[in-house]
Amino acid sequence: MRRAVIVLGTTAAGLAALLSFKTHSLAAPVPSAPAPSTGMPQATASGTGPSSMGATVSPAARATPKSSATAPAAARTVTGTVANTQYGPMQVQVTLAGTKITKVTVLQRTDDGAESDQIDANAIPKLTSETLAAQSARIDAVSGASYTSSGYIQSLQSALDQAGN
Amino acid sequence: MVLPGLVLALIGLGAVAVLVLWWHSTPDIGNTGDLLTGAGDALGLLSGYGFVVLVALMARLPPLERGIGTDRLARWHAMGGRYVITLVTGHVLLIVWGYAVTAHEKVTNETVALLTAYPDVLMATVAWFLLLGVAAFSARAARRRLSYETWYYAHLYTYLAIALAFSHQFADGPAFESNLAARVTWSAMYVTVAALIVWYRILTPLRNTARHRFTVQSVRPEAPGIVSVFITGRDFDRLRAEPGQFFRWRFLTRELWWQSHPYSLSAMPQPDLMRITVKARGEHSGSLANLQPGTRVMAEGPYGAFTPALSGRRVLLIAGGVGITPIRAMFAALPKRMSDGISLVYRASHPRDVVFSRELDAIAADRNAALHYVIGSRERLGYDPLAPVYLQRMVPGLHRYEAYVCGPSGMTETAVESLRALGVPRRRIHCESFDF
Repeated sequence: MRRAVIVLGTTAAGLAALLSFKTHSLAAPVPSAPAPSTGMPQATASGTGPSSMGATVSPAARATPKSSATAPAAARTVTGTVANTQYGPMQVQVTLAGTKITKVTVLQRTDDGAESDQIDANAIPKLTSETLAAQSARIDAVSGASYTSSGYIQSLQSALDQAGN
Repeated sequence: MVLPGLVLALIGLGAVAVLVLWWHSTPDIGNTGDLLTGAGDALGLLSGYGFVVLVALMARLPPLERGIGTDRLARWHAMGGRYVITLVTGHVLLIVWGYAVTAHEKVTNETVALLTAYPDVLMATVAWFLLLGVAAFSARAARRRLSYETWYYAHLYTYLAIALAFSHQFADGPAFESNLAARVTWSAMYVTVAALIVWYRILTPLRNTARHRFTVQSVRPEAPGIVSVFITGRDFDRLRAEPGQFFRWRFLTRELWWQSHPYSLSAMPQPDLMRITVKARGEHSGSLANLQPGTRVMAEGPYGAFTPALSGRRVLLIAGGVGITPIRAMFAALPKRMSDGISLVYRASHPRDVVFSRELDAIAADRNAALHYVIGSRERLGYDPLAPVYLQRMVPGLHRYEAYVCGPSGMTETAVESLRALGVPRRRIHCESFDF
């Protein structure tokens, strides 16, 4: 029993040490802060999109809070312009409660075959999650999905401009 | 005795490599969600690696069995198993919590989202529950109450769990996403261990059985509850069994075919005859007394690191209970030139537990070896005859001997402690206990 405690304690301590090296500044969690300064995509936080997602189902299921307790103001929806990328069009729709982005729905996404599907399935949940965390279009592109990312961000920015954010 | 340390070092190196992979795939952490998810990822990767190591330890790889010993490998597997299941549970909890924090969701909602939106995660969660079940069945408290059969079947579910959880590593793990080299290496690791299992645990026994045609010749009672089984066949000399080693036996009868159990050879094999001596301690060992001549047997082996080192030193053999089985084989097989320097201490709780007394007396006379029967339980005697003071009286100059101890784990521990107390260095103490 004592050996088990020692081994598990050492593992926890080792893990904590490793994680601390990855944390440059132990800032308090601020969900509405701008994108991380290192410029790396939030790969771990969002995970990879489900392999059989529809364009609208999963980001909503994963990213939005079920109870909009924070924003008593009326919800409104703004649709961004279509951003044409090399692999197809990207268009997003933003739902806001007051000035807070609560949901991002993808209306159109790149449609250049199965590989596009896979890249989108991977990238879109991440972009959405970053958007909600950053509460703006100042998010990082997802590596391996530059066209999807840039189209998404473009359409997102136009939606936010319309909303006056 | 270099191999155990080397293998542990290699396992450690592998773990370090896994952590390097984690390091490169984890972006800088800026908030609580990232911290939790990052920790969860690290534990997940270590678990995925840990399960492969655990299976590899049990793959019956000849160099490991010979160089480390089956009992030690089983102990490593048991301890490692508890550790890795703890790691994987930590992984599950941290990932769910971390994702929930990042998505600003309640943990319960996030759990549902993870399970329903990511198909591979559902399989992985089922795998986790299977592993928790296996852990519950393997706990000592459970094993005392359950039959071997129940435990054995429960344990087989680990293979299923590993298979179910495999895909979510690639589908959801940041370490493998757009890292083809990592995916290839990881898959190669899993495939290699799977191939080793198939080769050494399935194909090799089949091949050996076809080549040697093991068949029960006769069964002879030696003492109450103890029988010797004689096995015939052909080309047993090609097995190259050494004194003290054991085989894993699968008797092909309707009740026993699905179990394989280790029993030591109690005499050196002749080209067409082998003998094992078994004490009835459970369902399997108890049913051997009823084996019919002509029953086919599948035997895997020889296994075991418990063989004479032939260092030229005097030899002390200490046998407890049915541990006399491999000891008797060693006793007979030690070279004649070592006469003068062989002592055997045979510890038994009760006179009826003593087997082979005539054979042992004959071998002792032939080799001019000292033979001590130490009979009686500690309660009856009032003292422990294996305590240093008594051991020294039986075998003077003990510290210069090469010692071999075999018996139930409690007895072997006592004996080893006494030997150490009397100045025998660790590297000259060889032991095997039958409780694995």
